[in-house]
Amino acid sequence: MKIVALLLLAGALVAQVKHEDIVRSPNADWLTVAGDFRGQRHSPLTQITAANANQLVPKWVHHIEKATGLRTNPLVYQGIMYVTSNNEVRGIDAASGRLIWQWKDTRAKKDGANRGAALLGDRVFFITADCFLTALDRRTGAVLWQKQYANINEGVFATMAPLAVKDRVLVGVGGGDTGMRGFVAAYSAATGEELWRFWTVPKKGEPGGDSWGKLVEYGGAATWLSGTYDPESNTLYWTTGNPWPDFTGQERSGDNLYSCSLLAIDLETGKVKWHFQFTPHDTHDWDAQAWPVLVDLPWKGTPRKLVLHANRNGFFYVLDRTTGEFLQATKLVDQLDWATGIDAKGRPIEVPGKAPTPNGNRVCPGVRGATNWMSPSWNPDTKLLYVVTLEQCDLFTSSSQKAEPNKGFSGGGAGPKPVDLGQFVLRAFDPLTGKRVWEYPMTGPGESWSGTVSTAGGVVFFGDDDGHLVGVDARTGANVWHFNVGEGLTASPISYAVNGKQRIAIASATAIFSFGLFEPVKAVPLPLKR
Amino acid sequence: MRLLFLFSLLAVPTLAQHGDAAGKPPQNPAIGNPVAIDAGKTLFAGGCGGCHGPDGAGGRGPSLRDKVMWHSLDDSALYATIEKGIPGTEMPASQQPPEKLWQLVAFVRSLSTPAIEMNVPGDARLGEAVFLGQAGCSNCHAVQGRGGKLGPDLSNAGGTRSLPYLRESILDPDANGAAGYRSIQVKLHNGQELSGVERNRSNYSLQLQDRTGALHLIDMADVREMKASRTSPMPKDYKTRLSKIELENLLAYLAQQSLRPFVAEKK
Repeated sequence: MKIVALLLLAGALVAQVKHEDIVRSPNADWLTVAGDFRGQRHSPLTQITAANANQLVPKWVHHIEKATGLRTNPLVYQGIMYVTSNNEVRGIDAASGRLIWQWKDTRAKKDGANRGAALLGDRVFFITADCFLTALDRRTGAVLWQKQYANINEGVFATMAPLAVKDRVLVGVGGGDTGMRGFVAAYSAATGEELWRFWTVPKKGEPGGDSWGKLVEYGGAATWLSGTYDPESNTLYWTTGNPWPDFTGQERSGDNLYSCSLLAIDLETGKVKWHFQFTPHDTHDWDAQAWPVLVDLPWKGTPRKLVLHANRNGFFYVLDRTTGEFLQATKLVDQLDWATGIDAKGRPIEVPGKAPTPNGNRVCPGVRGATNWMSPSWNPDTKLLYVVTLEQCDLFTSSSQKAEPNKGFSGGGAGPKPVDLGQFVLRAFDPLTGKRVWEYPMTGPGESWSGTVSTAGGVVFFGDDDGHLVGVDARTGANVWHFNVGEGLTASPISYAVNGKQRIAIASATAIFSFGLFEPVKAVPLPLKR
Repeated sequence: MRLLFLFSLLAVPTLAQHGDAAGKPPQNPAIGNPVAIDAGKTLFAGGCGGCHGPDGAGGRGPSLRDKVMWHSLDDSALYATIEKGIPGTEMPASQQPPEKLWQLVAFVRSLSTPAIEMNVPGDARLGEAVFLGQAGCSNCHAVQGRGGKLGPDLSNAGGTRSLPYLRESILDPDANGAAGYRSIQVKLHNGQELSGVERNRSNYSLQLQDRTGALHLIDMADVREMKASRTSPMPKDYKTRLSKIELENLLAYLAQQSLRPFVAEKK
């Protein structure tokens, strides 16, 4: 708390993004990747409705030079939008799309996609591809501090948006496909000092260390997606990736804890309160990286704190988020053949013969999973979870090559046959039954990474697999609007308001788009001659 | 696969550095040798297929069928790339002995070398008769303005496609997904009925080309009924309809279709 006080003092005259503001987000502002701490991604704004969404028009486009597949999820605070790309952050006027400042780490030792920033106090935080957590002044883009928290020579890198909570910033790492050791760590927002670190692969002798066979040192379980947070219990919910080598499991016999899991972590201490493993001993690269969405609902008549998780392995899970107790799992997709269901303890009932083989074994879902890191959203009015799902099967191959970490080896590979490409389908799920209420199939090449945003106006917006930003009725899934951005979408939309007007924004492959309801443009006075 | 595209772009400068070696060494006997290519194919599936796809069509790593990406690599540079890997990318060094490395090079080469540059058996003149006659290719495909308009133009087939690709396209026309040429029939609200191939289609618009080559640009709001196939209208029976010799002759004819003539470099 002392640190927070210092932080407040340091920027006494600057509008501060307070922890309480984030708890109340989103509203006109959109303060975390998911809009809120709970991963619900639901905007309370109501100007845009299912009845008037057909009047949405682009208000501005902001191009990001040299971008190829933007994954950034914009943040908005008091009229300024914060977006990221490869080792770069920009502050943009959220009304006009004009650049205010940009900061690029030109000396970063790695390039890569970036999923967004975090806001706290007078600061914007982001992570370079080579794992430097960076704090910038949110008004000027001036660097306040930079801290290296992992070394890319050890097989790790970063693509994630950090998560800022109270006085600290949470980070994780990618690299689980080539042998490394995952962790979640907390850093002081004020100074960059490390507060705690939880390794997602235990050492031999530690609990879970015996679930690995030989390869425990490089087990993976990467932590490449931001988590969600429950302010009431002060608990972080963080997902972990695949065990390594991805596609051959013989040298890592056992469940491979804590890969392919959801971890409930105490924010203060970094201690794990409980864990739930979705895919024990995974051999299909089904990372658990998909957003844990925190909702409170009556479960079989009793109010209960739940976490909803649409998982890459093809099942849609409901857990008790206080205890980690497994409550329900239903099929997220139709193309699912590796397990017949999930047993009463939450363990998959596996179909034999579904491991990767040297010549390729067709398994559903495919390697990209039945869903992935594309954002789901939750509408508290309809009580539906909106999830972008992928109906696809892949050929999974295994390799007999000796496993060597940090050499590009993943134990095999996977991908669809060109004639067997999958189809994306947006689906609305009722978590109480696990059943689909409606679905919206998309066209496209099966390459999207775009998710959803729910709005209180009753429209769900999502990027489709064919480069359209689309609006559908939250209750029925009926199409109400679409716009062709002219290139692929690899990020999820948000909603914000500027000058009292609701907007929908999304990053396309190379640009940020902002949409609003049509209004005649006001003429400006005669421009000045220089 | 935008990720792959990015990866490929990153890989190009690294690869290009290998391609400028002055004074070409004599060609290794494995190159173009069907036995070596077959052996390379098996090796490829076990080691490289994990990333590049079992048939080199791409996966985690880039497609090796697309020559554009690594155009400047000569055989020895390709050998060096497989042997040493590409630093800074996920492409590892290989542990294979030289003989097997050359088999891999021969296989990878065969995936993308334009057919015009290959030694293709068969009689191209007789192949043209097959193309225009019993195979009926020209009903849908054109070569320099002569032929139908429903299928892909083949004027540059030998200059842009490898021999295995051309063979596969005849015997298994939908193996590559037939994107841009899938069959479609629609009935519009105004009563009009159209059929042909979908050059492109989303939930919101359709670009349909009919057998005469006419384009119909359709707003999906105007569509009452639609039957969209996942396959092209190309016949699937050429394996039995054509004799082995007819197929070889047809391939020889297609391999010759190159807008720019191929002049073999003197060794």
